[in-house]
Amino acid sequence: MNSGAGGLVLFLILFQQDARQVVEEAQRRTTAQSQRYEGTLEVIDARNKITRKRWQYDRIGSHGSSKAVLRFTAPAEVKGVALLVINHPDQSSDQWMWTPAINRERRIALQDRSTRFFGTDFSFEDLEERDTNQFDYRLLGEEAVDGAVCWKIESEPRQTKVSQYTHSLLWIRKDNYVLSRIENYKKDQLVRSASYSDIRNVQGIWTAHNIEMRDVKRNSRTVLKIERLQYNLPMKGDAFTVQAFRRDS
Amino acid sequence: MRVLLAIVLMAASCAAQTYSHRGFLENRASFYPQTAANDRARLTGESLFRYEAFLQPSSAFQVAASIDLRLDTHHQVERALKLSWQDRETQRPTAAVRRLSAMYHNGPITLEIGKQFVRWGKTDIVTPTDRFAPRDFLTVVDNDFLPITAARITFEKGPNTVDLVWSPRLTPSRIPLPNQRWVVLPELPAGIQLNIASPSFPGGPQSGVQWNHTGTVEYGISLYQGFNHMPSFEAVTTIGAVYDRAVIDRAYSSTASGQIDVRPFYPKMLMFGGNVAFPLPSFTVKAEAAGFTSSDNRADEFGLYVLQLERQSGEWFFVGGYAGEVVTREGTQSADFAPDRGLSRTFLGRAGYTIDANRSIALEAAARQNGKGTWTKVEYSQAMGQHWRVTLNLTLIRGDIADFLGQYRRNSHALLLLRYSY
Repeated sequence: MNSGAGGLVLFLILFQQDARQVVEEAQRRTTAQSQRYEGTLEVIDARNKITRKRWQYDRIGSHGSSKAVLRFTAPAEVKGVALLVINHPDQSSDQWMWTPAINRERRIALQDRSTRFFGTDFSFEDLEERDTNQFDYRLLGEEAVDGAVCWKIESEPRQTKVSQYTHSLLWIRKDNYVLSRIENYKKDQLVRSASYSDIRNVQGIWTAHNIEMRDVKRNSRTVLKIERLQYNLPMKGDAFTVQAFRRDS
Repeated sequence: MRVLLAIVLMAASCAAQTYSHRGFLENRASFYPQTAANDRARLTGESLFRYEAFLQPSSAFQVAASIDLRLDTHHQVERALKLSWQDRETQRPTAAVRRLSAMYHNGPITLEIGKQFVRWGKTDIVTPTDRFAPRDFLTVVDNDFLPITAARITFEKGPNTVDLVWSPRLTPSRIPLPNQRWVVLPELPAGIQLNIASPSFPGGPQSGVQWNHTGTVEYGISLYQGFNHMPSFEAVTTIGAVYDRAVIDRAYSSTASGQIDVRPFYPKMLMFGGNVAFPLPSFTVKAEAAGFTSSDNRADEFGLYVLQLERQSGEWFFVGGYAGEVVTREGTQSADFAPDRGLSRTFLGRAGYTIDANRSIALEAAARQNGKGTWTKVEYSQAMGQHWRVTLNLTLIRGDIADFLGQYRRNSHALLLLRYSY
């Protein structure tokens, strides 16, 4: 009995280690000094009504020690509205939103991160970057997603991470370590799911160019199409500050 | 105008620049169910065309320009076609430079010179330290910020910024027009006329410094030296003031000339203040306070403070708080037009709900601590397609005529706003 239990514990440890290794490898393969893309968003509500928005996304650094600015370019009335996300390896990110019409920034408090971001199905938290050190992982097995065999991994936020989600399920492709799907749960209830498709190799990094975020409760979804993606562009750190909002508006 | 010319020449000399622009055409119609003693109009209309352009020849240099063009039915907008730079007109100008500034950024330093917006402080609705932000108060409860001509240097190091602002001359807030409903005059005795003289604008610059820290707890302190951009009133030939019923009542009994002449003036002001914002598990707390002193003994010395809580939850957004005032010295001419002080000793709140990606509804309210004035605004807004937005706004004002909010009790109104953004 004792040796059986010990074997089970060893099996679980190995499986957990495997899960972390898979996620870390997926993270390593997407590491870049910087990233820029133009995103087209289609928000499709429960009545199939479509709203279109566009943003430009700039990021410097990678995974847990990165800074990102997301700036709306369309529709016209939100042109210039921006979000600054400063990710930390050991705690939740800091976020500020800039509204050019009133020339002021507003900090997005931790307790407000479950709110939808500007009418899309992404919450503010979904715009953070995940860092492996803020989660515990467990390998649940293998499953095919869109014909590609994936590791199915459960992630749970550690104490240092404040999250609206109690746990998430990740599907990572075995052939190229690209994330295929995420399901985010509050207790046992599925809250949001993201599907990743149109995977292309850009400058040596396999990247999904189509991300569909679904809000289960609202029965709405947002499709983000990534265009003009570039990695490792020269970028300056001082473009990723609250002060830079004012300069660029 | 020399600054304007220099900036235009600088912009013209730039080559291979990136250029972006945005703006809108907005039409608004206001309906007032009740007439006012000095204003019989119930339906007014205004059109505003705004064009904003940004020219960036390099990552270090940017020129920003913006212009407003206006037309209206109610003579809040001047009829003469001229381009305004100073924003000192009593009516809104037909054409106004909203922004024209050159910005240079290198490392931790950002320098912006020209006509620009400078916003200080963290709280909403009432912001005591926001001293470089005059407003257009022609419609008191639906006001808009006015730009100032200034030089601004910002030093940034890590989470700390120091902001130095110098403005060569005062841009005053635009106050309500005496012949319109947002100036509430008591009935004058027969033979007595009220005359408002041209404002006495002060000479000399204004300056200020602000230090800000961003982090989990955000805080800042600021110092401002200059003039109050909102006027006080002094009697020219007799005593009296247009915006203060009690002072005018006293003036009636003392005037022998049959005319009460009053003149707006902008007293010197020294402001020191601070703000802090920090998150709690349930709310974000924001607090801001400022003390105001003046070497001009005609003006009051006072302190303003605001404490507000805000929370976003699901599709809801809540802000609620209290604005208070402490008067430390009463000036000899205590009549003034001061909506920030008028909204003190007041509970303030705002709740917003995002219905979907295109539609939202909001409720704003202010209630005086003494129960003598309330202001409530309900607003529904809907985007249509990529360019259009329609907004319906219902404003209800109730209260006592002696109260800052209550005096506008005949000005409850509905506002329909149609905007085309490009």
